[in-house]
Amino acid sequence: MKVLAIILAGGRGERLYPLTRDRAKPAVPFGAIYRIIDFSLSNCLNSNIRQVYALTQYKSTSLHRHIQLGWSILCAPLGEFIEVIPAQQRVDEEWYQGTADAIYQNMYILQDERPDLILVLAGDHIYKMDYRKMIAHHVEKKADLTIGAIRMDRRFSREFGVIEIDPEWRIVGFQEKPDDPRTIPGDPEGILASMGIYVFNIETLVRRLIDDARSDSSHDFGKDIIPPMIGKGQIFAFDFRKGDQGEAGYWRDVGTIEAYYEANMDLIAVTPQLNLYDPSWPILTYQAPYPPAKTVHAEKERMGTVVNSVISNGCIISGGTVRRSILSPRAHVHSFAEVEDSILFEGVDIGRSAKIRKAIIDKEVHIPQETEIGYNLEEDAKRFTVTPSGIVVVPKWMKL
Amino acid sequence: MSNKILIVEDEESLRLYYEEELKAEGYDILTATNGREAIQQVEKGKPDLIVLDIVMPVMDGMETLGRILRKTRKIPIILHTSYTDYRQDFMSWAADAYVTKSADLTELKKKVRDLLEKNKAR
Repeated sequence: MKVLAIILAGGRGERLYPLTRDRAKPAVPFGAIYRIIDFSLSNCLNSNIRQVYALTQYKSTSLHRHIQLGWSILCAPLGEFIEVIPAQQRVDEEWYQGTADAIYQNMYILQDERPDLILVLAGDHIYKMDYRKMIAHHVEKKADLTIGAIRMDRRFSREFGVIEIDPEWRIVGFQEKPDDPRTIPGDPEGILASMGIYVFNIETLVRRLIDDARSDSSHDFGKDIIPPMIGKGQIFAFDFRKGDQGEAGYWRDVGTIEAYYEANMDLIAVTPQLNLYDPSWPILTYQAPYPPAKTVHAEKERMGTVVNSVISNGCIISGGTVRRSILSPRAHVHSFAEVEDSILFEGVDIGRSAKIRKAIIDKEVHIPQETEIGYNLEEDAKRFTVTPSGIVVVPKWMKL
Repeated sequence: MSNKILIVEDEESLRLYYEEELKAEGYDILTATNGREAIQQVEKGKPDLIVLDIVMPVMDGMETLGRILRKTRKIPIILHTSYTDYRQDFMSWAADAYVTKSADLTELKKKVRDLLEKNKAR
């Protein structure tokens, strides 16, 4: 059974602005050393799926670079590849009109590879999943389409495609972001949300894409491709818990700054729900060969201290204090500075006696001495993005 | 008003033959000798149906099909070729019909009639 994975990596990620000012959403750094797309890519490799295309569109340079540097690890002579396909205007002088159009415009790759099944993935979700189990379920049910599904609280229904199933997990209804969702039978507070993960038989996918291309449509998988299929073919939901490699049911769509911040902060728990330390399911990435992290100074008032935090290679905590934070490579925290509940991206420099609280500081920003961020949100809002819950975001390369 | 059919065919004798035969059926006829001309004719001449050869110089029928569908989704398109292999090409599934070329135009004429009828009903 030949399986080809297609990762939809073209999302603008507007709600993650300014983190997406210079990069596509899947290329946004996550968990100190990763990019968001590393999770889907690692899941593919760990599931032994070694033919992977990532379709990109907007601001894809940093994504291309990351995949080239970090993911050129497969064996091409064996037919394996992870390849980025930018929007090429093969069919017309138009960008992709939606997720379905992205694949339609690249129909030639399906033609060339002739897989039996297509695994369609989002490039912007954080989770660990064995796709083989979903594929086995698809084959066993003789399905035309299988959709990965996860239980969510019903109050989140407006953010998801909501799936209605019969006792066999056959999909009998689908509501896109409903106000009044159909709940799971016997679980009135739960809904079954589509994870945006699809296994399609090749012919089913091609015929649907063509029908969709020939109709007035926004050409979106959730809105346009799936709903007309309900009740027509063999369409099943697959319970994420059966494929979850984390055993905690951890899956996050980090679509907003808030969700992104929370998902990062999940990692500093004593036993994180998302276990990055499981050798049987490694999350791979590109890491430049920086020297090991270190702390220096141990005087009473000037103690290089890191507690309850994630730190990376190249970091120097030099007489400053870091609490409950995520530090990407080459972050420097100078004497008497305090960093709390924050995410520092690569190359961030926190000057002497600066105080940073509940902030996300993007790459290569140098915070001058004695600067305070996160202590007076009104003042912060004059210079930075401040979210409703009070997270301050300092964009890449900003001069302060 | 009679329906207007665009015949896209690079070989002149065949093009003339199809033109005569379909004219005799009462249709108005536009012609093009390759895909690029066909796209111009779609924009200028507003045909009601397209009979599209596949193997042509300048731009082949398969690429033309994709490009025409980006501009207008409603015009029925019949792929008309001597080869059956192109049915294996996923893009050929986007056409409304696939007719193998023959001196006997009964099948082609029937498909033209059926598709125009179907499109009127839409």
